[in-house]
Amino acid sequence: MPKILIADDDENISLLYKEELEEEGYEVEIAKNGRECLEKIKSFDPELIVMDIRMPEMDGIEALGRVIAGQKNVPIVLNTAYSSYKDDFRSWGADAYVVKSSDMSELKAVISQLISGKKPKRGKP
Amino acid sequence: MILAGGKGERLYPLTRDRAKPSVPFGGNYRIIDFTLSNCANSQLRHIVILTQYKSFSLDRHIRLGWNFFSHQMGEFVHIVPAQQRVSDEWYKGTADAIYQNIYTLEQERPELTLILSGDHVYRMDYRHLIDFHLKKGADLTIGAIPMPKETSTQFGVIVVDASYRIVGFQEKPREPETMPDNPDLVLASMGIYVFNTQTLVRRIVDDAKRPDSDHDFGKNVIPSMIERDTVFAYPFIDEETREAGYWRDVGTIEAYWQAHMDLLTTRRGFSFFSPQWPFYTYEPPSPPMKVIAVGSGDEYISDSMISGGTIIAGSRIKKSVIGRNVSVEDGCDISGCIIMDDVTIGRDATLNRVIVDKDVIIPAGMKIGVSPDEDRKNFDVFPPGIVVVPKKMRFS
Repeated sequence: MPKILIADDDENISLLYKEELEEEGYEVEIAKNGRECLEKIKSFDPELIVMDIRMPEMDGIEALGRVIAGQKNVPIVLNTAYSSYKDDFRSWGADAYVVKSSDMSELKAVISQLISGKKPKRGKP
Repeated sequence: MILAGGKGERLYPLTRDRAKPSVPFGGNYRIIDFTLSNCANSQLRHIVILTQYKSFSLDRHIRLGWNFFSHQMGEFVHIVPAQQRVSDEWYKGTADAIYQNIYTLEQERPELTLILSGDHVYRMDYRHLIDFHLKKGADLTIGAIPMPKETSTQFGVIVVDASYRIVGFQEKPREPETMPDNPDLVLASMGIYVFNTQTLVRRIVDDAKRPDSDHDFGKNVIPSMIERDTVFAYPFIDEETREAGYWRDVGTIEAYWQAHMDLLTTRRGFSFFSPQWPFYTYEPPSPPMKVIAVGSGDEYISDSMISGGTIIAGSRIKKSVIGRNVSVEDGCDISGCIIMDDVTIGRDATLNRVIVDKDVIIPAGMKIGVSPDEDRKNFDVFPPGIVVVPKKMRFS
């Protein structure tokens, strides 16, 4: 079962994602912020990370940079309510950028593409 | 963005207490002044200097000497130490240094980013490089110095097509590909790059993810770009002579010494004397140089450069570069030397091919550079017999 780590400070969203993704057959773990995400990468060893941007203690932009610099070669999906970060150079290390929506189909499609090793198309900012 | 974080180990002991870009050069300057002056004279005044090792002296020099940019006009020279924003490690390579400073690029969001090295000695108008880059519609343009074909076994050769688009590299080849318009010359990288910023960000992020990479522009990032991006080489030609420009990576003691000797020749050398292209630096207040009775008997000064505040009593000085506030007492014989600031040379001393770092007192009658065996007992000696006296060395 592929393992997915969700980093989001909004518990309702994390639980919703966990439920939905488990139904899709993934094993899911939750981190409350970027710092916890970095710790859980070590213990949980995920195959993919869904990362919120605005989080307390350490935001998703810094956590993304640190995951890349630490050369944990794990795909990261930035998942935020704001599209404005898409233009930010610091977000360009992400493998995909999905704006939060009540409809999870885009996120699920991107996750499944990345886990199967296909690179989803990322429009030019 | 100026990379100024290298250790400069091969310049030890000059780099014992300072980063390589901060090593004094040519009496009045520090090595980084050449790159910074090239930027200022090229009207490029949005400058970030990336530092890490032993940066105190560099930091102080920039603060004291490079504070004339106008913030009100949007100009700046920012010194950015390794901040560990995205990594708990120091810079792993030149590309990693830029990757770790994506934040800085994001703040400024320039269309083009010029990446320079803080430890080269040359005079270059970067506007020609940038014009070339734009005209070619390139993603990346590399500054390249034409070198004699016979020297190609010492460096990586850039292989270009007739339009100067880079098609490959040869590592220290015996039979190199020569320049399209000159069969006697080959192109070597100067380690200076102009990138479209968006391409730069994409490629350094890709590189950061590669565990097998050394995160170096020359070794990793650029070779991986040759096929997927348009990469050009800009041949660095002197505007006046139409020959290869003067450019030195003063990476070794010998190269450092030789570059100083180049200052003292008139042909094929490097000169500070160009009113159109001033080299800026930190200038502490110092009185004019004072000479006491040189030119009588067998005392003379020839082929030398001597900075302010220096006092020379009757002595012989030839082929030497002497810094500020140096005191040369009577009867000395100084030849092929680089003497840095605040050095005192006692009477009747003989110095031949010696680099004396700052704040040293050479005792009266001492001979350095005369007997190789004696020199090796007391100093670091480098080929071809250059002796280095480290900063603040004291003799009992």
